[in-house]
Amino acid sequence: MAKLKKDRKINIIDTTLRNGEKTAGVVFSKHEKIRIAKMLDGIGVPEIEVGTPALGEIEIDIIKAVLKSGLKAKLFAYCDADIKAIETAAEIGAKNVVINISTSDIHIKKIYKENRTWLINKLREAMRAANKLELDFIISAEDATRTDLEFLLKLISLSKKKGAKRFRICDTVSKFDPFRTFMNISTINNAIDFPLEVYNHNDFGMATANGMAAIRGGAESIVVSIGGLGDGTGNAALEEIVMALRYLENVELGIETAKFREIAEYVAKASSRAVPIWKAIVGTNVFAHESGIHADGVIKNPKNYEVFNPAEVGLTRQLVVGKHSGSHTILHKFKEYDIDLTDKEANDILALTRSMSVDLKRPLFDKELMYIYKDYKSSAKKGD
Amino acid sequence: MRELDLLTDFSQKAGTTIDPKDIKIDDTTLRDGEQTAGVVFANDEKIHIAKMLDKVGVHQIESGIPAMGGDEKEAIKRIASLDLNCSVLAWNRPVKNDIQASVECGVDAVALSISSSDIHIEHKLMKSREWVLETMKAGVDFAKSHNLYVSVNAEDASRSDMEFLLQFARTARDAGADRLRYCDTLGILDPFETFLRVKNIIDIIGIDMEMHTHNDFGMAIANAIAGIKAGATYVNTTINGLGERAGNAAFEELVMALKFVEGVDLGINTNLFRSLSEYVARASNRVLPTWKPVVGGNLFVYEDENKVKGVLSDPSTYELFKETDVGLERQYVPGKYSGINSIKQKMKMLGQKVDDKQAKELSEIIRNKTVSSKRSLFDSEILDTYKEYMGSSKKTKTGKGKDKNG
Repeated sequence: MAKLKKDRKINIIDTTLRNGEKTAGVVFSKHEKIRIAKMLDGIGVPEIEVGTPALGEIEIDIIKAVLKSGLKAKLFAYCDADIKAIETAAEIGAKNVVINISTSDIHIKKIYKENRTWLINKLREAMRAANKLELDFIISAEDATRTDLEFLLKLISLSKKKGAKRFRICDTVSKFDPFRTFMNISTINNAIDFPLEVYNHNDFGMATANGMAAIRGGAESIVVSIGGLGDGTGNAALEEIVMALRYLENVELGIETAKFREIAEYVAKASSRAVPIWKAIVGTNVFAHESGIHADGVIKNPKNYEVFNPAEVGLTRQLVVGKHSGSHTILHKFKEYDIDLTDKEANDILALTRSMSVDLKRPLFDKELMYIYKDYKSSAKKGD
Repeated sequence: MRELDLLTDFSQKAGTTIDPKDIKIDDTTLRDGEQTAGVVFANDEKIHIAKMLDKVGVHQIESGIPAMGGDEKEAIKRIASLDLNCSVLAWNRPVKNDIQASVECGVDAVALSISSSDIHIEHKLMKSREWVLETMKAGVDFAKSHNLYVSVNAEDASRSDMEFLLQFARTARDAGADRLRYCDTLGILDPFETFLRVKNIIDIIGIDMEMHTHNDFGMAIANAIAGIKAGATYVNTTINGLGERAGNAAFEELVMALKFVEGVDLGINTNLFRSLSEYVARASNRVLPTWKPVVGGNLFVYEDENKVKGVLSDPSTYELFKETDVGLERQYVPGKYSGINSIKQKMKMLGQKVDDKQAKELSEIIRNKTVSSKRSLFDSEILDTYKEYMGSSKKTKTGKGKDKNG
């Protein structure tokens, strides 16, 4: 299967500060928002959604501060398709806005309690306002994956005609798998020559795969967040998309990935959500090997069980000694402490290690290994 | 050209229905789940998990590695003797002693695992392709002589040379293996690549296939589904996606994705998902993230005004399944992103009635309090806020309200 063209330009826009913060229970302080924006900018993320001005004074104060912090990244304010919200964004100095509107019949009927004609007018008014205020804008179609395709195409051509920069397709309820996503985006892409952006939720664990499928289908831009932080199950994770592009598609975005772990940790603290140790790309367990087969393979050659070097994302490799360890791990582990075990010693210590690990229901610390070794040696002496 | 045809093929298949009768789950929480660095289950926990898996309707349980002996072997023996509805499988290297240990445990099925990639053959096994084929064949022969159901696992299949993998699959089939497990050991495939490769093997060799996918790039579920679309009939899952490194395809996510995205209902009892996930989270000493797809505690917790407005009007505005489908609860938590509808709903649940104007003013006060405390407010704090607000608005109205701080 052909990979993407190497020179293909893919944009990412990070929404940690907007949809990430919208997660029920997550609140960033002003200081944290500025810090996160700087971190994203520092590693080379080209576009950032900063916040929602319509929330009022507190949020406006924070957005202003981020706008003024001298970042290279293009900064977006997020607005509903509402003239007042767009005016507020312009007043506080935003140059770029995302204008969001729900486009599925179910949302039009149940949330707006209106019809499609009303929606088109609302979108027109919003774009008129944005143009009048000389804002660059992206139109975001919420629940686009449950929107009638013909109607969606109509909205995209309208947005194109009125000067939008891109059109965002939101899979708000995680309706699609990668195949449907690919078909959907290719179909739209073939029908209208206009830059598409995708926004995926992770309700069935497919946000990243759907984002990648959309890119394969011709989307130019993808919405991400650090660690996938976002309302409900969250969004496509920044670190997963960047690394998947690099290693599965050979597309290099030029992001400084060595900072991924550090940034993930910062956002975890600010959002009061620990990074799961098994989190793809940045979890501390991703480069921890315990089972005999895996650890043995990694000791012989990391390539056996690793696609990239841990340092590339700011992690380190660990050999964990526990129930599933094999004698090679024991030999290797003791070599770290300048102790050369014989094969017999390694096997005996392995048996002791396994049984202790099962008793404790956890792997052993290096120190505990040393105790086992000392006990073993002294009992072996007695036996002599 | 063939690739282009296949692209069209899977695009079409994306819309077709898979027959639920054909799809079987082989859960490996007890084997690959426990193999995760740092995870050890007690034997009683293993028994409990096996019983729960059987109860929700899993088709096969990968119960462990008999060759490890001791406690591990004991647990497998006990699981095999539980008289479960599902099949009980044990993991082996294709080695006589390993398989003999499985026979002693009384399981009805074995997985025989061996690497098929040149990287593993050269750098891990330090053997040749021929040796791999011979070893695998001998293993199948031995297992079959004991009338066991045999899954041959092609470890690191996704980095294997396709020609050799086909030869591997053919050898397994001819030796009498019942299925081939395609292991994306490093989680390096995307769904399109997965589809093409699995379809290729099924088309040419015609053997039952099982998907074993890892989540290193966040694609375990999507890849498992791609394999099913290509014709694989078994999926190797783990509860909570527990597994080496970034883990495996999560059982609960796969079942719900099949049901609600693909329209394939396996008849699994999903109501028990939350309790199953909580149990495994505790037994594996790993907190269940509140945002975990399908079973996270936060999935039906609403703060955002638009969403609250939507789900109050009709839950299907933002939900493809109900909270009770997976054993979760619905909550409304006012916060920074709340507005009139969210506040009215919350106050109603707290037994207080407010009008639109009051709800709007209250939402602003609650927004400020949420931001300054950097978290959602407790119900008691919301009630206090409400009482303070009512007191002060009475005061401005009548000019003689009680001074709360007085």
